Amino acid sequence: MSNKVFETLEKWGIKNYKIIDKQAVKEITLGASILATGGGGDPEIGLLWAYKVLDEGKTVVMIDPMDIPDDILVASPACLGAPVVLTEKPPSYDVLNNAIRKLEQYWGKKLGATIPIECGGVNSTVAYAAAGEFEVPVIDVDGMNRAFPELQMTSWVTNGVNASPTVSCDDRGNVTVIDTGDDNKMAENIARRVAMAYGGISWIATYPMTGKQVKEASILNSQSIAWELGKAVYRAREKHLDPVKEMLDSLKATRNVTGMKVFKGKIVDISREFGGESTKGFSLGRIKMEGLDEYKGSVAEIDFQNEWLVLRIDGRVRCLPPDLIAIVDSETGEPIRTDIMKYGYRGSIILIPAHERMRTPKGIQLFGPGYFGYDMDYVPVEELNKEVAK
Amino acid sequence: MAKDVRIGFDVGGTFTDGVMLRGKEVLAKAKALTTDDVTTGIINALDVLLRTKKAEVSEISLVSLGTTHTTNAIIERKNLNKVGIFRLGAPATTAIPPLTGWPEDLKAAIGGAENIFIVRGGKEYDGRDVVPLDEEAIRSACAKIKGKVDSIAITGVFSPMIPDQEERTAEIIREELGDIPITLSNHIASISLLERENSTILNASVITVMRRAVEALKKAAKERGIEAPLFIVQNDGTVMSADYAVNYPIFTVASGPAASVRGAVYLSGIDNGVVVDIGGTSTDVAYIVNGFPRESSITVTIGGVKTNIRCPDLMSIALGGGTIVKTKGNEVIAHGPESVGYNLVRLGKSFGGPIITTHDIAVARGILDKKLDIFDTDFAPHIDKVKALDKDLVEAAYKMIKNTLEVAVDQMKTVAGNVKAIFVGGGALVVPRENLEGISEVVMPPHFEVCGAIGTTIAEIGAYAEGVADLEIEDRDAAINKVIEKAKDEAEKAGAIRDTVEVLDVEEIPFAYMPGKREKIRIRVKGKIFE
Repeated sequence: MSNKVFETLEKWGIKNYKIIDKQAVKEITLGASILATGGGGDPEIGLLWAYKVLDEGKTVVMIDPMDIPDDILVASPACLGAPVVLTEKPPSYDVLNNAIRKLEQYWGKKLGATIPIECGGVNSTVAYAAAGEFEVPVIDVDGMNRAFPELQMTSWVTNGVNASPTVSCDDRGNVTVIDTGDDNKMAENIARRVAMAYGGISWIATYPMTGKQVKEASILNSQSIAWELGKAVYRAREKHLDPVKEMLDSLKATRNVTGMKVFKGKIVDISREFGGESTKGFSLGRIKMEGLDEYKGSVAEIDFQNEWLVLRIDGRVRCLPPDLIAIVDSETGEPIRTDIMKYGYRGSIILIPAHERMRTPKGIQLFGPGYFGYDMDYVPVEELNKEVAK
Repeated sequence: MAKDVRIGFDVGGTFTDGVMLRGKEVLAKAKALTTDDVTTGIINALDVLLRTKKAEVSEISLVSLGTTHTTNAIIERKNLNKVGIFRLGAPATTAIPPLTGWPEDLKAAIGGAENIFIVRGGKEYDGRDVVPLDEEAIRSACAKIKGKVDSIAITGVFSPMIPDQEERTAEIIREELGDIPITLSNHIASISLLERENSTILNASVITVMRRAVEALKKAAKERGIEAPLFIVQNDGTVMSADYAVNYPIFTVASGPAASVRGAVYLSGIDNGVVVDIGGTSTDVAYIVNGFPRESSITVTIGGVKTNIRCPDLMSIALGGGTIVKTKGNEVIAHGPESVGYNLVRLGKSFGGPIITTHDIAVARGILDKKLDIFDTDFAPHIDKVKALDKDLVEAAYKMIKNTLEVAVDQMKTVAGNVKAIFVGGGALVVPRENLEGISEVVMPPHFEVCGAIGTTIAEIGAYAEGVADLEIEDRDAAINKVIEKAKDEAEKAGAIRDTVEVLDVEEIPFAYMPGKREKIRIRVKGKIFE
């Protein structure tokens, strides 16, 4: 195999790596959609892009973060902008290459590997597509292990790594370098406006960092978590097993993450707060679910702001951000997103503790209940469910 | 003699139903086996109807059909056109070229990837050009595909909002290639480039299939002395003239269930509620909103390809007359999903066979007690076998079937509360109809068993149009009226009398995450074929 990526692995002395084929991309995408806590949008474009790169015979390999040299440059290729424009105007094949090249120029160093920024939507797969195009490996990490709506909401920021410089490109070859130092919210504000000027969508290379910083500030092995989750669901479908149980077992067995099923029911009411999109850039609202089977008689309410945010069952708070809420179809394991949910949808609610790197005091300040307008102190999901855990 | 008799056909997987009506009076019903070519089955059913001599051929004013020609062609990859594929969108969009994600055999059947051209062009959401349209590239592409393709599909970025580049491209292609069928994506579907492009390419691929079917049916009608226009049902349950349909064959996908909804509305007079169409192997649940099937908001997969054509929001469940009740001793283990299908008359308990089906539970429970006149066989020639079934078993199976039905009806609801349900289809008598949770009343209109075929004869033309308005510059009413006129033009082209065209709904969708007061306007209209 003459691919540049294998020369790189040899140079770094890495013998253990995973080849990401179409099946793997499919499984990772599904797992990431579950971790996306209802947000992230439709992953289809990212999935098709990765398929196309693989169809062209390019190789995508994933490596463990602890194996990478400390001094390499890594960055996250991502999409930032209005989802509706993305579905109508998919990217140019070289727009991310362009962003990465310009970032290399600005930084003065070649890119060694890509890192996905989040789980869910196009962003969980574009890092794979870009890695294939650019012949570099993908590192088994991300910056959230879930989805969040804004650029600065990452474990990288909570652990001292900045989004700047971020290079933002459009398909015509326009390039904007956003360098706001350690003001990451400002980087988000500017990047959002640049996307509007481009026509609604921008393609960015962001969070340039060293290999050492990847190890210190990322959610480690988050891609494997998504992958295992995805595999568990496909396995459950194939063998007619309970997908929720398979998911939770796989989380526990492979990553020692204790997720919990806390509810099963159907959506009986959806109230959307209209205008939220234009005022806050979020789609806001609340759903109500009525319990089914062993949860009959109980009522669950979930607030959402693009992602599921706060869960209450029978009036009692059971999950707060940044801990994860996933609603999955009890039969197929397919997660339901806030943008496509409907009355009558039946599913199980799963809670997963956020990674410790998301739960630092800075993390709670950046994306805890207070940031989303709740006058509540953050309490970890394990505490909130201690007495009721089954 | 008055020309007031209408004939309609509904092509199903196993049977093709036909009806002959005068006003609301059903003169004759027919059932013929669906054939591989579909057309022969329709002609056979037509002959059955004509042989009844319930009307003179000179009285026939309309022949209308809900057909599966195009769906079958796509699924079986048979007789498809080679398609020249133009996308107006470079330098954007190139990461995902046309046909990405298509099954290989379908790709090959429409001429493969060599007839694909991503041309510089496309629009931004606000009407700016992404880049100006590269007309030279279109001309040189034409030189490459001349004589190699049968039809053309053109898809431009944001064309549902601003169609001018697609129209210009079609003009250039006609200059270069002459009279070749061209499908423009803005006529086919809405925002979401890849799904709209897929829908457009599929449409272009079945134009010849539809053209041949229409020619054959017109010829058959003429040979039988019928001088009446031919109409084809589209997937909102309205019809389009056959000559219009040959350009938009993709709109016939899922037209069967849509026709059932329209038939149910026509027969029952109920404009809002749920239609439950029960067949031999499956049941379709659809909702009626103001007399039309509710549209699906999710992507529809046809032959392995994701599309965004408008389709009725439908839930199909494995519940039919032939669905098997699995037992262990006198205990019910499961109901379905397997079905004995049309072998019911050999394998079902009621017919002396070994298998317990939904049909047999209905007979045992006393809810099925008559033979419908479309069936040849009596409903329970071996009623003793059914009577011998264990009472608890019958009750348990009945409850399970009832629950399956209730859950399906509930899952399709958009708000809580009870609804009226119209039960139709050949299997309507085999399912529970009393004390159903979430249903206020079950209505079974006369001729419910041929509801789909009747639905095809309602003779209303449906059409759509879309436009985009910037309300900071334009007057809202003027902008809406402009789109209404466009929709009326389409209805007229599809065979409606312009004066009869009325607006069904006006949808205004603001652009999220966008500055300004820009919105998409979507208009749906219907018009009559007869004064």
